[in-house]
Amino acid sequence: MSKPLPAASGHFRRSYADEFRLIETRFARIWATVFTLCLLAFPFLASPFYVDLATQVFLTSIGALALMLLTGIAGQISLGHAGLIAAGAFTAGILFKEFSLPFWVTVPAAAVTGALLGLIFGLPSLRLRGLYLAVSTFALHFVVVYLGGEYETRRGFSTGILVDPPKIFGWEIYAPRTWYLVLLAAAGIALLVCINLMRARSGRAWRAIHSNETVAEALGIGIARYKLLAFVISSSMTAVAGALFAYYRGFVSIEAFSMYLTIQYVAMIIIGGMGSLLGAILGATFVTLFPYLIEGLMSALPGADRLAGSVFAVNYAAFGIVMILFLVFEPQGLVGIWRRLRDYFQLWPFRYRPVGTKS
Amino acid sequence: MADLQVENLALAFGGLKVLDDISISVAPGELFALIGPNGAGKTSVFNCISGIYRPRAGTIRFSGQSILGKTPHEIARLGLARTFQHGELFREMSVIDNLLAGRHARFRTNPLAEAMFLPSVRREEVMHREAVERIIEFVELERFRHAPVGGLPFGIQKLAGFARALATEPKLLLLDEPSAGLNRDEREDLARFLLRIKHELGIAMIWIEHDMQMVADLADRLQVLDYGRTIAGGRPAEVLSDSNVINAYLGVAEG
Repeated sequence: MSKPLPAASGHFRRSYADEFRLIETRFARIWATVFTLCLLAFPFLASPFYVDLATQVFLTSIGALALMLLTGIAGQISLGHAGLIAAGAFTAGILFKEFSLPFWVTVPAAAVTGALLGLIFGLPSLRLRGLYLAVSTFALHFVVVYLGGEYETRRGFSTGILVDPPKIFGWEIYAPRTWYLVLLAAAGIALLVCINLMRARSGRAWRAIHSNETVAEALGIGIARYKLLAFVISSSMTAVAGALFAYYRGFVSIEAFSMYLTIQYVAMIIIGGMGSLLGAILGATFVTLFPYLIEGLMSALPGADRLAGSVFAVNYAAFGIVMILFLVFEPQGLVGIWRRLRDYFQLWPFRYRPVGTKS
Repeated sequence: MADLQVENLALAFGGLKVLDDISISVAPGELFALIGPNGAGKTSVFNCISGIYRPRAGTIRFSGQSILGKTPHEIARLGLARTFQHGELFREMSVIDNLLAGRHARFRTNPLAEAMFLPSVRREEVMHREAVERIIEFVELERFRHAPVGGLPFGIQKLAGFARALATEPKLLLLDEPSAGLNRDEREDLARFLLRIKHELGIAMIWIEHDMQMVADLADRLQVLDYGRTIAGGRPAEVLSDSNVINAYLGVAEG
């Protein structure tokens, strides 16, 4: 454990345990430290607007990681993602409003709700594949949206449920900086959990099922068990993200969870790069920041005042075009670009990695 | 006592009889070849044994236990592994990960512990990594260990599929045309591995093969199928000189 880390060049692994190290070289550790310090310093240096943007990215990353686990890695297409976020948000909102339960009860409750929904709506995956599965998970979206809408009208919260800032050990999470740090930690934990699952038996089983179900089963992998496990883990992570979203916004309304949100999440994992956890984070960052980027560009154009009314329309159109461009020109997504750049610098003056080495 | 005992196996797809009254008996440690022309039903026999097809009639017993009606993964866990005609590897995964996936059923970790990568998970991973490395060494795939399988040459992929089946530590190995698509050198390597498995590991094998020279040289016993029926069985020297076999498989001599 405490063996000194080698420098990047001439780095050889000396035991199998070395292969599990997340940070393998001194060079990597320096960069990881610098990056972490930048992330920690950011809320104290940037304006509240940028802190809010970064916080949104962290929140979205949790949902994108969860969807990547299910779709990009285990190969089970789901269109119920917005429904699951809504389920998490409403679980937290309702438990708070009706029973005044604290944060540390409502968030785990959202996780359990998510897990149960995942189990139920994962069942069709045992029989259905691809597009057919996607349509059956679509049902989840409508069920949750219907129930949430009914709750709002019956209880007279037609504009939404107000949620007070959460308290942990009597300490209120309210300031944007605090939220930034809390959600940074949450996203970090989510990423670590995903990395750990991926390098263990469950991750391998999921990738094997994605690649070839019949062969995976002939090797002794219980297909049903691992498909449902993927649904349960992914859904419960998503629901937790939903609950955190409710607290962060201080407000839950069913209108926030439209079909467009599901499409955005699917776009994140495609643009980020299917099958890669880093891809999920890059995709979440890109899709979250994209509308602000378009808005910024449009306000810089001459005659910006007259264009202001069409910002929304341009946003949707540009988003669609970017999706198509990625699918056609960069099917590996942002992570593909990142890998090429990294290889370029790592291997220079050579171009290719030798066969059979770990990248 | 036979390790695998198949009796009166029959399989049909609709009105098409695929297998009719097939009986196979393989002794522990035996290298048993299954030959026959294309479409004779050899792979269907494998699919019945490994639980992918449900036969219409017959019994299949493995180590004295009936495995008929069990799911493929239950059968795999009893110690029955197979390779596939076209390799059928997990293309995006590295050779190591393919082999580790083959050892899936031997892991004793649960998802909750995996999510935290507890020391117990770490220990299991290292232990199985060591076991996989021994197999990689056995089939001489060291230089490809971290390569994604999809990018490797076909011969290497087939070898990796062979290694993945071995990684399950089976008692009986079903090999579906392991030599198809291999060049001469690769075939000689394969022959060497088959003999090493037989003599060093003592694993019984049922081996579907079209290369008659290899079968004649290596197999302990063989059985010939044609149109879903057994037409001959026994030692290679006897079977390959049987006139029925020559007619069905090698073609009728002119004149």
